[in-house]
Amino acid sequence: MFDVNEFILKKAKELGFGDVVVLGYEMDRRQVRFANNEITVAKNWHERKVELFVELDKRIAGTSITELSEENIERTLKALLSTLKNMAPKEDYYGIAEGPFEYRDIPETFDKAIVELDEPNEYVERAINAALEERAKRVAGVLYTDHNRIYLTTSNGVEAFDEGTGIEISVRAFIGDLESGHGTNSVRILKKFDPESAGRKAGEIAKMAQNPEQGPEGKFDVIFDPLAFANLLSYMSFMTSAYAAEAGFSFLAGKLGQKVANEDVTIKDVGNMPNAYGTRKFDDEGVPTRETTIIENGTFKTFLLNTSLAKKYGTETTANAGLAMPHAWNILLEPGDYTKEDLFSEVKKGIYITNVWYTRFQNYVTGDFSTIPRDGIFLVENGELKPIRNIRVSDNFQRILENISALGKDIHHIHWWEVRTPVFTPYVVVKDVGITRATK
Amino acid sequence: MHELVEFAVEKALELGASYAEARFEEKNGTSLAMKNGNPEGLEVISDRGIGVRILVDGGMGFASTNVLTKESVAEAVKKAVKLAKAASKVRNEPIRFSNEDFHEVYYEVKMRKDFRDVSVEEKLELLKKVEEDVLEAGAQTPMRFLRYSDQIWHKIFMNSEGALVESVIPRVSMMYNLVVSENGQMEQAPFVQRAFSGGLELIEKDEPWKWAVKDVLALQRLIREGRKPPEGKVDVVISPEVAGIAVHESVGHPYEADRIFGREAAQAGESFVKPEMLGERIGSEVVTVIEDPTIPNSWGFYLYDDEGVKARPRYLIKDGIITEFLTNREYAAKLGQRSNASARAINYNREPIVRMANTYLAPGDYSFDELIEDIKLGIYMVSFNEWNIDDRRYQQRYIGREAYLIENGEIKHPVRRPILEITTKALWSSVDAVGKEVEYFPGTCGKGEPGQGVPVWMGGAPARLRGIPLRRP
Repeated sequence: MFDVNEFILKKAKELGFGDVVVLGYEMDRRQVRFANNEITVAKNWHERKVELFVELDKRIAGTSITELSEENIERTLKALLSTLKNMAPKEDYYGIAEGPFEYRDIPETFDKAIVELDEPNEYVERAINAALEERAKRVAGVLYTDHNRIYLTTSNGVEAFDEGTGIEISVRAFIGDLESGHGTNSVRILKKFDPESAGRKAGEIAKMAQNPEQGPEGKFDVIFDPLAFANLLSYMSFMTSAYAAEAGFSFLAGKLGQKVANEDVTIKDVGNMPNAYGTRKFDDEGVPTRETTIIENGTFKTFLLNTSLAKKYGTETTANAGLAMPHAWNILLEPGDYTKEDLFSEVKKGIYITNVWYTRFQNYVTGDFSTIPRDGIFLVENGELKPIRNIRVSDNFQRILENISALGKDIHHIHWWEVRTPVFTPYVVVKDVGITRATK
Repeated sequence: MHELVEFAVEKALELGASYAEARFEEKNGTSLAMKNGNPEGLEVISDRGIGVRILVDGGMGFASTNVLTKESVAEAVKKAVKLAKAASKVRNEPIRFSNEDFHEVYYEVKMRKDFRDVSVEEKLELLKKVEEDVLEAGAQTPMRFLRYSDQIWHKIFMNSEGALVESVIPRVSMMYNLVVSENGQMEQAPFVQRAFSGGLELIEKDEPWKWAVKDVLALQRLIREGRKPPEGKVDVVISPEVAGIAVHESVGHPYEADRIFGREAAQAGESFVKPEMLGERIGSEVVTVIEDPTIPNSWGFYLYDDEGVKARPRYLIKDGIITEFLTNREYAAKLGQRSNASARAINYNREPIVRMANTYLAPGDYSFDELIEDIKLGIYMVSFNEWNIDDRRYQQRYIGREAYLIENGEIKHPVRRPILEITTKALWSSVDAVGKEVEYFPGTCGKGEPGQGVPVWMGGAPARLRGIPLRRP
């Protein structure tokens, strides 16, 4: 596809555009959805497109082109040019990265075996069977296989290619209407794929969750399963973008250099992590992805930036372009030193939350939110787990980070429908979490 | 493009499909954002492709491509057939569709002011108008994020049972996030949207800048004069906006038949509603909830769904009784019914699934003054920020953004963040009076995997809830 990229770049320069980024994609994605222990639909997507970003005297525009004929490309560029000429400039635009760059292969991001995989249904059956073996009655979920190729060409000397694969599954198991559990597994190479582990975890939690009683309300020490805490961190990842802070969507706005979390808390974005679902060799400007520490020992160190926002704030890009909006690749909460057993015995009286969904904000700039536990929820008392239901976590993001009191030593890779930005997190204990329930 | 769509359906039948449909979709439009006064750039939306969905041996396969050649479409059809065959082996019973009457039809929504003829500068002026009016309103607004967007949706749907539905629907919207800061306090009106199916005249008539100024001034007043909401059991009057989110979350979603039968279990969740609950009481006699895709110029507008079935208003709750679920052909067949045209797909590359369109609480016969006149102590919740509901759609929570105390039949000072955290049955059983005036508010309804945010309106008349144990932060 580089021939298409080069043609677009050449024509764009001829027309007088300044910065130009051409990002070509070829995507092959397969999906198998299942519910009630059977496949409800199987899907295949094949897409080929170019994401185009152009700049003309600080006026910027973007579009994607799917019809890649020379006539359509020229027509699109001319239309952008005539529109941009009459538009007001974005005064705080400061350009794109100066290439070229050198790229390293990131291990465990491409596997030919996934490209050549003929038929993934056996993995679905394995996950369903693992859950059924734990006495689940109904199993639902989704499996994906991915094969992506990215071709990047910019007006600042970048020509870069990345090819990646992935396979992942998300499984929810039910015993009754109120007894359910959830497990996921996401990897980039086939031999590391373990669909049974997702099915087994879903089934185990559903089994433990039988006959739940109405849960309490008040302040409780909460053990968050990685699946549950990943949800909160995934929402937080958006708030670490400098764009979100400027637009009024982040509790981190104005807090650079301040303490925003317990001193044991270090949160990173790692764009070049092996075997991680969000990993890429380079960002949308061609800057090689890397590890960026966002919160270090409780102190907020940096927003995620692209080149233009970095220049605006007198610093360096963190290789998180998104040309309009920088974004995280893979969020990682550094583990602690608790075994899972120690962590549960540490909490004398509290609540274990295995999953949450529907996290929504009362106020983004203060971080006030609530989220709803789903699947197994348990009262933890002297090492015993008693299933409960119908509670809600109602608290504040920064207070949650400040009140983290223990971190497990193993980290888990979470990526599913509710966790869009991939997250690596251990089990996490948070003190004094606000728990509410319906009043009527 | 009709030829390619027809080719896809014929090819699928040739390869052994017992049912086939193909949907061409093209979306063209522009999007503009403004952040703290800076134009953030122009996004030109131009997207098109074909999706095919087929049944083979009772298994369902779906494939899409944006390479619009016969070869590429044939390849997609082949993949869909292969996937459906393989899926049929992991099924307990074959998928069947309800019998429907199909039509060959073309419809479009006319624009009085066609946004394709309007320059980007003029569209940017709409954002500037919001920006300027908000700044002139006299409140500190340190963060302002605004977005304008317009799109023409052109679809051609064809199936192997004689449906041919072509539609052209323009959609236009404006959105704002405004942060008001005073005395070290910050309040926020996030993701507030005004949106319609039709031309730019609808936005101009709606005047989003007035909504924005109203929000900013209400937040300023909340900071200056806001007090704690009352404690204990009170009466709560919910506005059309709050009634809208409540009917969407706790009536529309749990009445989606695919959710009732567990198809959405791993993503958007299940439902407390069971098929045998048709005819059961869920609310008081004054509660009627209607779902209607055919409301002219509505954000959720359509006349035929994405399975080619003709749309009509659907009464989900009538006089407090559960009367109808939202169905597509697959789940109508399971219920032994005809589809009520709730199948929607957000784009060519998504399968049609059971969705809402415009859901509202039907009007009663109370004026607003009558709703509040005998309330000794209560609150009036005008707008909300935080909201959520469990995945069975039973335990929900709405937090007031703009809200006021009601005392002895009069609206008094603003109250801070009153929290309505309540079960679905308690909510609809508590309603003892519904107002006359219906209003609608736009939203994007999320469901499906991969996600499908579809445009919907939510709204209705204001309603009075008696004896609610209100929570406060």
